[in-house]
Amino acid sequence: MTPSTIQGAPAQGPGRSSSRSWLLLVVILASGLALLPLLTLLKDVLINRGESRLELGFDGLRQVRGTLLLVAGEGLLGAVVGTAIGWLTAVCRFPGRRWLRIAQLVPMAFPAYLLAASLIDWGSHRGLRIHGLGWAIVLLTLANYSYVFLLSTESFSVSGRRLLEASRSLGVGPWRSFFRVALPIALPSIGAGIALSAMEVVNDLGAVRLLGVPSLSAGILDRWQVDGDPQGAALLSLVALGIVAVLIASERQLRQRSRRWNLEGGTGSAHVWHLAGWRAALAQLFCVLPPLIAVAIPALWIQQGWQGLQSESFAELGQLASRSLGLALIATGVTCLGSLLLAICRRWSPQPLVQQLSFIAGLGYAIPGSVLALGLIVLGGPLGFSPVLLLLWGYGDRFIAVSKQGLDAALERIPPSIDETATSLGCDWLAVLRRIHLPLLRGPLLVGSLLVFVDVVKELPITLALRPFDFDTLAVRVFQYASDERVGAAMAPAVMIMAFGLLAAFALVPTLEQRD
Amino acid sequence: MRFKLTAIPTTALGTTALAATTLASAIGVASMAQNRPQEVNVYSGRHYNTDKQLYSEFTRRTGIKVNLLEGKDDELIQRLKSEGSKSKADLLVLVDAARLYRAQEANLFRSISSPELKKDVPANLRDPGGRWFALTRRARPMMVNTAAVNPKSIRTYADLAKPEFKGKLCLRNRASVYSQSLVADELVRRGAAATQKWVRGVVANRKEPFFTSDTTMVRAVGQGQCGATIANQYYLARLLSSDNTADRATAKKVRVVWPNPTHVNVTAGGVTRSSRNPEEARRLLEFLASPTSGEGYAAANNEYPLKGWGNNPTLKAFGTFKASPVSMEQLGRRNREAVQLMTQAGWE
Repeated sequence: MTPSTIQGAPAQGPGRSSSRSWLLLVVILASGLALLPLLTLLKDVLINRGESRLELGFDGLRQVRGTLLLVAGEGLLGAVVGTAIGWLTAVCRFPGRRWLRIAQLVPMAFPAYLLAASLIDWGSHRGLRIHGLGWAIVLLTLANYSYVFLLSTESFSVSGRRLLEASRSLGVGPWRSFFRVALPIALPSIGAGIALSAMEVVNDLGAVRLLGVPSLSAGILDRWQVDGDPQGAALLSLVALGIVAVLIASERQLRQRSRRWNLEGGTGSAHVWHLAGWRAALAQLFCVLPPLIAVAIPALWIQQGWQGLQSESFAELGQLASRSLGLALIATGVTCLGSLLLAICRRWSPQPLVQQLSFIAGLGYAIPGSVLALGLIVLGGPLGFSPVLLLLWGYGDRFIAVSKQGLDAALERIPPSIDETATSLGCDWLAVLRRIHLPLLRGPLLVGSLLVFVDVVKELPITLALRPFDFDTLAVRVFQYASDERVGAAMAPAVMIMAFGLLAAFALVPTLEQRD
Repeated sequence: MRFKLTAIPTTALGTTALAATTLASAIGVASMAQNRPQEVNVYSGRHYNTDKQLYSEFTRRTGIKVNLLEGKDDELIQRLKSEGSKSKADLLVLVDAARLYRAQEANLFRSISSPELKKDVPANLRDPGGRWFALTRRARPMMVNTAAVNPKSIRTYADLAKPEFKGKLCLRNRASVYSQSLVADELVRRGAAATQKWVRGVVANRKEPFFTSDTTMVRAVGQGQCGATIANQYYLARLLSSDNTADRATAKKVRVVWPNPTHVNVTAGGVTRSSRNPEEARRLLEFLASPTSGEGYAAANNEYPLKGWGNNPTLKAFGTFKASPVSMEQLGRRNREAVQLMTQAGWE
């Protein structure tokens, strides 16, 4: 990186190859950092320990089946709900649409384990047993469909406006326009959203445990910690990793098949469909239900348990909150910078190696948080790394895919011809980044960083396993109380987590509005 | 009486010198203590705010600072294993015999000798090798809804396997260490064949899917969805003293039935092998196990102290029981076998 490249002087000659090899270095470094904990763990498990029992067994098979059913169920339900609401609020017009669009961000604020714990507790007061796979699918969908909504609505608003207009002028109705034009164009984004939410499902530990659904994430932990069978745990981790690899690969496949370069922003309100009467009412109902239920569950729970609220001192709560907030802010910065670099590298270097490495760097999302944490302990313990550093490493590793997915999808919508033009005019990648990519990526970058922020505030297994002495966060405290079945005590920190989530979610509102 | 005047300055001088030396050595000790501030790092599977008050009381009395890291028991064991000799933990506090045994097998504790701990902790509630010592006791009695089940019809856990209770029983899941230790207790007392028959019997009598929490299970008994269950006494005590009026009303419909003998489990602590402050850790352990602070440790969670029944009025109303003679060490040793047996019998 030379000074002139920083100034972005267009007159600057080639010298590109050197700065691009710098990019390659970044990719190698990032994927190395992402893989190191997992590799350390595999080495520790497979080489250092003697006895071997590499079989899934009765419980293992039930856990694989449970996770697959969860992924399929949540994926399907989440895809339908997220895409439908994304479409309705992006290109249809009905009363209350703008508010309902914003309301879709609300469920993101509520972690699935909190929804499950509060619904189970609420139901148990009324003799209603909340238990099993069906409830798990519903609750996980509720907690995660926003991923599909955000990415699909963004795509519906931005892409293919002209094509939609053309199809409309040819007399194609809204349903057919949706299925024949808008949906294929939006498929990569929808796929990315489903992949993200499915990975959340594979990783969920709290909700599935509470609902009594056998799952890989719980199986990995139990095999490892309870049965003292690290090989078995590694085997289950590999299965989980396999499921997520399939998810990511199919999402990429999907994206490649329906690749459309589409930049024209389109100003027109010309191609919107105005709904009235029962149609409008139905659209409203469909859009209001998921966020309403997501709010109602904790609200009913709080209303019911208000008498039993046992709060810690405000000072203690403030301390918990400031730790959660501080960790989340730093982790978000680190993670988003990393994902931006990776996304840019992928764009500039078509070599398969870079593509594969950048893919690998995002795999941390697939590793269950607790397994990742153990890898980091094994890795960092002997080196004497500070626990906070390991914690940030863990967050980065785990969530880089969250912001990267959106960036990759957004970059693919920018025609490569723009980069080529800029390069032929003497701009290197940094100048192109500063002048072209960054301005166009501002939206996805903001969305990505807010998603990461919310994820870190809600994150549990890594924080639980890696935090130093006397360093509890809100999520940790909620979990400890909830696992002791002391709901009253868990309430105050739980409300604060939801409040942080809501704040972050509402920070997304301007981005949504902009797309209108 | 006469004395030489000259003796006075000499004595004074001597006294001053002595005082100076004492002072100097005192300063020396103080500065040494400053070099290595007295502290003890605790990994604890318990999460009660009242525990922290006890730790502060310990610091007030001894000047030893307590640093705390609370987590789930299994996770703490794994963390300690992975950290190895680099671990900062001095004292490991765990809930349930099965976990204590696991930590012991992983060689995480060091053996300590303390006459005080031997005096305060009954022999079956501590490791024979002095690696861990119980701090509180909890019991797992049967609980019934008197409208559905006559409490007089059950005297032991074995009775719950009788066909007359078909469709009336609610059970905690296999993943819960409480269920595992209960079955291990039966294994030790009644042998593999009888226990296997019993497990099949109770699984066959089950009404609802296995529960993932004791609280919802006890509530279900109070509401009449289940006739009988087996749950830790403190869950019912908690509901009975809840601020929520509906919970109190539900809990009042639940009757505790003490089987003879009753399965008892513990919270226990041990000094870690990697400890750099073993002396301080031992003192904290002695403090927590002592009858006065032990009551406080137990009261935080409506548990029983190591000896006797304590002063908790809710627990007193439950009555007294005859504790199972099975030692914590035996419970831990038979855990794996218990889990296998449950898996085979369809205890999910």
